[in-house]
Amino acid sequence: MTTSTHDPRVVASPEVAAARQGRSTRSRRPGGQRRPPLRRDGVWPWLFVLPLFTGVAVFYLWPIVNTAYLSMTRSGPFGGSTFIGFGNFTELVADPQLYTSLGNTLVYTGIVALGIPIAVYVASLLNLPGLRFAQFYRVLFFLPYVAMPTAIAMVWRVMFNGDFGLVNRALGVVGVDGPYWVSDSSTAIVAVAIVGLWSSLGFSVIVLGAGLKTIPPELYEAAELDGASTWRQFRSITVPLLTPSIFFVTIITVISSFQLFDLLYAILGSANPVLPQSMSLVYLFYREGFVNNDKGYAAAVAMVIFLVIGVVTALQFRMQRRWVQDV
Amino acid sequence: MSETVARPSVRRSGRARQSHVVAHLVLATGGAVMAFPFVWQVIMSLSTNAEVVSVTPVFWPAELRWDNYAVVFDRLPFLDQLKTSVWMTTIRTLAQILFCTLAGYAFARMRFRGSGVLLALVLSILMVPSQVYLLSQYQIIQGLGLLDSLPGLVLPGLFSAFGTFLMRTAFLGMPRELEEAARLDGANPFQVFWRVMLPLARPSISVLAITTVLWSWNELLWPLVVTTYSDEMPLSAGLATLIGDRTTDYPVVMAASLLAMAPVLILFIVLQRRVIDGLASSGMK
Amino acid sequence: MTRTPARGATRAAALALGVTLLAAGCGNGDDTGGEGADSSGGWTEPAQDLAADITYSVWDQTQVAAIDENLAAFNEKYPNIDVTVNVTPWGEYWTKLQTQASSDTLPDLFWMNGPNIGLYASNGKIEPITGEVEAGAIDPASYPSSLVDLYTVDGTQYGVPKDFDTIGIWTNTALFDKAGVDLPTGDWTWQEFQDTAAEISEKLKSDGVYGAAGGMDGQTTYYNTIFQAGGYVVEDGTSGYATPEDQAGIQFWTDLMESGASPSMQQLTDTTADQWFTSGKLAMYWGGSWFRAALQDEALAKDVTVLPLPTDEEQATVIHGVANVVAASSTNKEAAQALQVFLASKDAQQQQGDAGSVIPAFTGTQSAFTASMPDANLQVFLDAVAYAKPLPVSNNSAAWNALETDLLPQAFSGAKPVDQVTADLAKQMDAALAEE
Repeated sequence: MTTSTHDPRVVASPEVAAARQGRSTRSRRPGGQRRPPLRRDGVWPWLFVLPLFTGVAVFYLWPIVNTAYLSMTRSGPFGGSTFIGFGNFTELVADPQLYTSLGNTLVYTGIVALGIPIAVYVASLLNLPGLRFAQFYRVLFFLPYVAMPTAIAMVWRVMFNGDFGLVNRALGVVGVDGPYWVSDSSTAIVAVAIVGLWSSLGFSVIVLGAGLKTIPPELYEAAELDGASTWRQFRSITVPLLTPSIFFVTIITVISSFQLFDLLYAILGSANPVLPQSMSLVYLFYREGFVNNDKGYAAAVAMVIFLVIGVVTALQFRMQRRWVQDV
Repeated sequence: MSETVARPSVRRSGRARQSHVVAHLVLATGGAVMAFPFVWQVIMSLSTNAEVVSVTPVFWPAELRWDNYAVVFDRLPFLDQLKTSVWMTTIRTLAQILFCTLAGYAFARMRFRGSGVLLALVLSILMVPSQVYLLSQYQIIQGLGLLDSLPGLVLPGLFSAFGTFLMRTAFLGMPRELEEAARLDGANPFQVFWRVMLPLARPSISVLAITTVLWSWNELLWPLVVTTYSDEMPLSAGLATLIGDRTTDYPVVMAASLLAMAPVLILFIVLQRRVIDGLASSGMK
Repeated sequence: MTRTPARGATRAAALALGVTLLAAGCGNGDDTGGEGADSSGGWTEPAQDLAADITYSVWDQTQVAAIDENLAAFNEKYPNIDVTVNVTPWGEYWTKLQTQASSDTLPDLFWMNGPNIGLYASNGKIEPITGEVEAGAIDPASYPSSLVDLYTVDGTQYGVPKDFDTIGIWTNTALFDKAGVDLPTGDWTWQEFQDTAAEISEKLKSDGVYGAAGGMDGQTTYYNTIFQAGGYVVEDGTSGYATPEDQAGIQFWTDLMESGASPSMQQLTDTTADQWFTSGKLAMYWGGSWFRAALQDEALAKDVTVLPLPTDEEQATVIHGVANVVAASSTNKEAAQALQVFLASKDAQQQQGDAGSVIPAFTGTQSAFTASMPDANLQVFLDAVAYAKPLPVSNNSAAWNALETDLLPQAFSGAKPVDQVTADLAKQMDAALAEE
């Protein structure tokens, strides 16, 4: 237990090494080779992956295979199905609900993704050396993430109330006549997204905060000696070196935004007249499978969701090379 | 290899301190916005139901009703359910940390045939609605004879694609030099992982721990579906029973959810001090 | 203390019947591991030393205390039957039940409602009560007949109601006084109701008070007016929405909103009608008898009285109630049915009623309900049984309930003409019904 000032993470991290040797981190990637060199690991990697993969295969991949099969059947509420090929999919492609819900999901994802730059900024502020009350602020930003969704949705519903809600009262102060947030088809999804942004910010902040800890402080010191402004330091050091964490947060935020269901259900309520115009993809899935009891059709919706998120995620992995710093 | 890094506390300059004014302004305002719904939740938990559902919001109850908190203990086997929650969450978190760090390390640092496909398969499970898993998982647990048991309750939640991805990202960002040195010393891959790499991953492990704890703590549908006895349910499921189909006693729900939130919040405060912040100054090994 | 209604006399007949019913009852579930459950189809009163562990699933936490009282009495008779009460909240109850039904792990005894009975009965998930009825252990004549019909699917009886609720108009008399409007006598027409509501809204506009409120919930609002106009929602697998009677029933609510007597559709989504009422901003609220629980302990309660719904072509209200049903897949059917029979008995029902959370269904056990708010004229809800119609359901009610929720708001808000919306709804609903 030596209380040394050595921090191996920092000392040995490649950016640090690069920075210390006066190299730009960008230049350190000949030919974009990011894989470790071929090495004989023999059976080891399998031993490492096996425990997880067994569980994933049994409890998750198998149900997906089941669902894929189900999507090609006509199936009632309690199982028992007849194979119909791609019938559900042809029906689904012609279903306007699919496009409405896809559109809403995209709007929601877009708004929630706005939280990522905010989170980067907040995380960097929290990481300022010697900032007082940083612990306290961190707890404040983390609070929404700890919230029990059903209880907090109730609070937000009250705040969004068109006639008496605090949101509209606040808007009224600055002379804006606020809408009936959760019962107007043009604003309902926005209201849900605001809560989504609010509740996911804490997660992004802690993940990015952990990422920030790996940026060596001497980079900032050097920059400060060079007279770089705080903003300049933020742009030239913090953001570039944080890109792997930002990438991770982006992937997770997008995937979970596409899974929007609980929050929408809790905030809008199941008897809301604007639901047909405001539903998300997963809501459509839920409604077909658990309300209308059309399990086959719902499975087809699930497969479409699978496909859409899969494509979007794959695209992000592709684009990753353009903007994520090699590490 | 090791060079001296200045402690954060020494790194202060006039400019930094000056910029703190802006930082405090932004963080305090932002923090207030973030925390506001909770403040209101606390107020609601001390009100009467009529005050909560009132058309014109009541910002301060006529009388603080602390007995709403007592009612929670009346209506729920709170301590039993707390115990289940703690067990369930502890087991899942430890298991996820173990499985996800192992797999994440392999995906980040080892080369093996099919690793890309395997990783894609693991990640793919994040891409379907979670309700898709319900029936199949239930039938597997039923087949194993584990309905109404703690193993049945925790089993599917031991494995996480999110955690694997998180840990893979963490290991990708780590220095290769230490690893190579350990290998040259004759350590086998597991020893390298366990002695060298795992300790370095502590910040990310703490993130994984926090997210797993939270997810597990708040999980609703699965515990409700696989358990029958109310004293074997976790708190999240118990709380949900307070919400009725026609009428709900909102102050009690608010009080119960605040009570349920408290342990996780305390854990977070401890974790962020011990692990995230502690790392920066105390050094490791 | 164990009182059993007329049972013994017909036991021999039941025994004989049990043999015939055995075949019918065994069709669906697996009757393999039952503890001494050699006869699972017909019904004979089991021996008092019958030992079993059974599960009873419900969704309402507030009724658990009354259920526990029931179970204590039940255990005096059957000390070796251990009953676990499982509460699953309403939001997840049906998802859980569906998962269990798909895996043949349904609880031995569980709550069922009107919209779902068709689905579970037609898929063979529930044990009929034919045996108990034939044996005389359950007498359907003791319960509101419209609810007995509700739990009869394709001529087979699957349960009897354990409780019921009807719809009435919860009235804030203080607001009537304030507006200077005479309290209606209760024998009134649609027009009189509309006028009264509009007058109060007009006179108390500055206070933000409304006379009446529409809503999205068919059971408390438009199903009633459809029945009053002489219409029907679903009959013999077809939708009634295209009929002029149904259109009139919908138009009623459109008119109410258009005249300003009711808050708008958006206002009612943000703040539900019952919230308007408990906040003292609504004079007349169409609500179920269950609303009494929300009023108890509220200052408002002293000003509240109940009026019957207005009448058009006929007098009508929606009635609904929950039933206890036994799972066809239960391995402890004997014990589960013993509990089912016990809970339907007059004594158990009296206990339920006295506990005060619901109106028990057994005729003559309801006095505690009316006594709970002696000045509020709760008798209206009991009198309504005489002219009540059951909640409209089919084998997959949820499918067209979703259509109602999607389409009708456009008619209520006046965004689209009523006849156009109802015609569209009828068409889509017929398609959904055809798929059942």
